[in-house]
Amino acid sequence: MRSDSSPPGTAPTHTVRCDGWLREFGPKSSEKLRASSVDQLIDALEERYPRMRFKLRDETGTLRRYVRVFIDGADVSATTGLRTELVEPRTIDILHSIAGG
Amino acid sequence: MAKGTVMRVLVGTRKGTYIVEGDTRRRKWRLGAVAHPGDEIYHVVEDPRHPGDLYSAVNNMFFGPMVQRSRDGGKHWTELATPLFPRRKDRTFQMNDTSPSTPVPRALNNLWHIEPGAASDPETVYLGADPHLLFRSSDRGASWEPIAGINDHPAKKDWAPGFGGACLHTILVDPRDPRRLYVGLSSVGTFRSEDGGGSWVPTNRGVLAPFQPNKHPETGQCVHHVAIDAGNPDTFYRQDHGGMYVSHDRMERWTRIGKPLGDDFGFGVASAPSAPGRAYFVRLDGRARVTGQGHFQVHEWNDRTRSWRTLISPKAFPGHFGVQREGIATDRLDPAGIYVGTTTGQLFVSPDAGRSWQLVPFQFPAIHSVSVGGPTPK
Repeated sequence: MRSDSSPPGTAPTHTVRCDGWLREFGPKSSEKLRASSVDQLIDALEERYPRMRFKLRDETGTLRRYVRVFIDGADVSATTGLRTELVEPRTIDILHSIAGG
Repeated sequence: MAKGTVMRVLVGTRKGTYIVEGDTRRRKWRLGAVAHPGDEIYHVVEDPRHPGDLYSAVNNMFFGPMVQRSRDGGKHWTELATPLFPRRKDRTFQMNDTSPSTPVPRALNNLWHIEPGAASDPETVYLGADPHLLFRSSDRGASWEPIAGINDHPAKKDWAPGFGGACLHTILVDPRDPRRLYVGLSSVGTFRSEDGGGSWVPTNRGVLAPFQPNKHPETGQCVHHVAIDAGNPDTFYRQDHGGMYVSHDRMERWTRIGKPLGDDFGFGVASAPSAPGRAYFVRLDGRARVTGQGHFQVHEWNDRTRSWRTLISPKAFPGHFGVQREGIATDRLDPAGIYVGTTTGQLFVSPDAGRSWQLVPFQFPAIHSVSVGGPTPK
């Protein structure tokens, strides 16, 4: 599954969108980023927006419990998650889930 | 009243940070800045060495813990370095909640307490976190170093979390010697270091652990909070799961003082600089975890006469109130102000060491912590 070995420079370019709360730390609108996996995509996001570091993944590298990643509209958070390959250009939405009270 | 000064009550709630402002008469209060909407704020504190500097322990359920600081009394906040450790080879603190003897890599959970260092050490700040972690910053929060002596304590494999998590919730610094530190860890107990955190000894002798097969274990003690006596830094007041205690010898031995109250369960305790030898507790029903007598009450312990007195008429504030471990605070004025926040969002204030009480006219979300800053120039 994992294709992290592909250098980001040769990886496909994706459109990344973050929801409202995440805009406090990251991109205010959609962003173009190269990555071969969701994990690598988050690396790229963090490099461009240092305040996103540890907001999506904790320091063990695990996707946080209430963060959801959608690829072309499909939620991969609970399935392939960070290991999900990105072999073609995709639209990726990163949301915080509806929770709390 | 000192003109041009402001008192700030810093309220950490389940839904954000609230700043309440008043003057040194402490009779009228108004809501000031509100920050971190929706975030769980376990502690907010003003740094008395740098008036107007506030630190907030922000726990965002979606994006994790963050240390935030304000340099202007709470109007504006900036996220500081949060003491996370991305380099896994450097991660030495490990614990498994369900099997504490099985170490696993684990992320930092909630931030619980921020403690400014000694007056003689004006750049130092301490941070307590879950899972049973202590950090020190030597640059006012710009960076943090783990204190390995407690974080990697040889007995840690046997430590388990309490209901609120594996929190390191109490940090006390001896004002005479900044190398003498004390910490309180939920479900573990208290420890003292004489060498700035290099080594730690458990300090729980005399404390009853009614929930353990061994009723007086060295650790495995459920300390809820500890306050240091401002007039005598060798004296400490402890609210424990197993009752209310005092120590007069740097926590070498604890003596239970709460028995005359019957059920001496509770979470918070505070002492005031202008009232040495006295401590303030809110006694809770050990089962319901609210004021069991049917009204709000604060108990004052007089360590000289070894006696208790209640500070509030039973008719004043009827109801069942919960108060958490950071829910009681005092100020630095004389007479002492006493401040108590409840889990149902009331903030009680006494401006005169408990003689009179009022409710701040604002309904807060559930209150986790109360502390007091000032008087500070406006």
